[in-house]
Amino acid sequence: MVTLTHYVVLSSILFGLGAIGFLTRRNAMILFMSVELMLNAVNLMLVAFSEFRADMAGQVMVIFIYAVAAAEVAVGLAILIGLFRHVRSVDINKFNVLKW
Amino acid sequence: MSEVGFVFSLSRLWHVAGGQVILILAGLALIFVDIWLSTKHKANEGTIMGWLTIFALMATLGHLVFREWSLHDIVFMGVFSAEKFSVFVSCIVLMAGILASLMSIGYLRNNGLARGEYFILLIFAVYGTIALVQSVDLLMMFIALEVMSLAIYILAAFLKGDQKSQEGALKYFLLGSFGSAFFLFGLALLFGLTGSVNLTVLAKTLSVGIFEQPAVLVALGMIMAGLFFKMALVPFHMWTPDVYEGSPAVITGFMATAVKAGAFGVFVKLLFVTFTPILSLSGQPEFFTTVNLASLGAYWKPVLWWLALLTMFFGNLIAVSQENVKRMLAYSSVAHAGYMALGILAANAEGRMGVLFYLFSYTLMNLGAFGVLYILDGKERGAQTLEDYRGLGFKYPTLSFLMSLFLVAMAGLPPTAGFIGKFYVFSAAIKEGYLLLAALGVLTSVIGAYYYLRVIYMMYMKDAVREITPGPVAAPTVIALVITALGIIYFGILPEGLARIATIAQQSLAFVF
Repeated sequence: MVTLTHYVVLSSILFGLGAIGFLTRRNAMILFMSVELMLNAVNLMLVAFSEFRADMAGQVMVIFIYAVAAAEVAVGLAILIGLFRHVRSVDINKFNVLKW
Repeated sequence: MSEVGFVFSLSRLWHVAGGQVILILAGLALIFVDIWLSTKHKANEGTIMGWLTIFALMATLGHLVFREWSLHDIVFMGVFSAEKFSVFVSCIVLMAGILASLMSIGYLRNNGLARGEYFILLIFAVYGTIALVQSVDLLMMFIALEVMSLAIYILAAFLKGDQKSQEGALKYFLLGSFGSAFFLFGLALLFGLTGSVNLTVLAKTLSVGIFEQPAVLVALGMIMAGLFFKMALVPFHMWTPDVYEGSPAVITGFMATAVKAGAFGVFVKLLFVTFTPILSLSGQPEFFTTVNLASLGAYWKPVLWWLALLTMFFGNLIAVSQENVKRMLAYSSVAHAGYMALGILAANAEGRMGVLFYLFSYTLMNLGAFGVLYILDGKERGAQTLEDYRGLGFKYPTLSFLMSLFLVAMAGLPPTAGFIGKFYVFSAAIKEGYLLLAALGVLTSVIGAYYYLRVIYMMYMKDAVREITPGPVAAPTVIALVITALGIIYFGILPEGLARIATIAQQSLAFVF
């Protein structure tokens, strides 16, 4: 039987994978996707808690988070394109005009 | 009170969150005004939009000062509260917004990018920051945090032709959304464990000792980590120097003051409404009697102790080795966050008052410094590095004098408001027995004085090695610089009035229930 614990553990693992991906990968697009994975892990957990507590508030929060995540991607990709025009790369190791 | 106010009424919305309503309506209206201006009055688009923005921000400030400050029934639908603390911080944010708009008019003209969307984004950034401080619900807090951040990400990337600006904005965006994901994870955990994300309801739930469960502590820790990113405390500061160096100078000033005020304000609110409530003067609410609430302080205080220490040391030490003045100021703003964290750590009335005073005076001196910085950094052959500042003192006496005043204030020397702010924060920490940390803090501020005064030394004691041509000085920038300079001296000599208002503001945290 699938219990609440399964959902919490699954979403924690997904969140952790997202965080590890964010810290280790070098492609800016993959970093975007890692952050999205973290947000969706949160969404999964909210839905599970919402079902468990019989409280619709959790699912309402998911809708809000979707809206914010969509806006975030729009802005993030625009900034990435702006930088790509200068660097011609999405490798974050090449984004190095600013350091120390 | 938080649960009874769930009936929606427009008049209550206007009373409690009218400032936010004005800002949203103004922001939306200005989008259409800008479309019209860009076809009919292309030449003056930036200037007209700038003054309209200033007008909208002034109207909001008026609403906050004359209406929300004297409200009694302060919570709107369990989402917003207009207690005096958040009204005070909102006023600081608005002041930063007004000063930044004044300077932006000249800044955009000097850099040939006088476009209207800049000001629309600025209005939404101010709106997001105010909504962040006024929210009493973690979900609303997250949405406001994102509204603020998204507007600031775009503003940071506003210099399209400058690779530094684009790179800084991308780094800010990536680390900012990483930080917000942590905030959200904490929110979701807390929702699952306690069933609510409302600050006042959470305070009641936490007061029965549930916070001793590891999962609740993890949730609270993640929410705080998300905020530490925005407050730029070491080691959550990695983005700060890059973003501050790359962004347009006025936006850097705005980020270092308004965004920081918002993040600190909401952090103080979270700590003292939910995690360690201040008991109201009328005796403690009955639900606090079950458990000693101060014991949650045993968890966050050591964390904040180390963060404050690291922030003060790293911010100041790395600033010493900077050649670029803008980047030096970026590290100095990290260091200032450390002094404010010291005031929060003290967790007494004087500490909270000191943080408010510090935020207020820091807003004045930092925006002033960035205002002078953008003028000196003219389009071609501007002063950017420390070497470029050599000999400026006698060639441009007014600008150099103002810069010296702002730097002296940041170094915390009397008779400026910077000294008073540091004094309040340090004395609050000493009163609570943080002697070692306060002593180390004073030591770091001596390091700070070294690199601030070094700029002044370069300006007055050295001969110029190369010709510097500052940009033209626009009239609105003059107004902003005069306001900041007079404010710093006025509140440095007569701090009592502001300190009294800040004291009243911090007391209101006990009445959010």
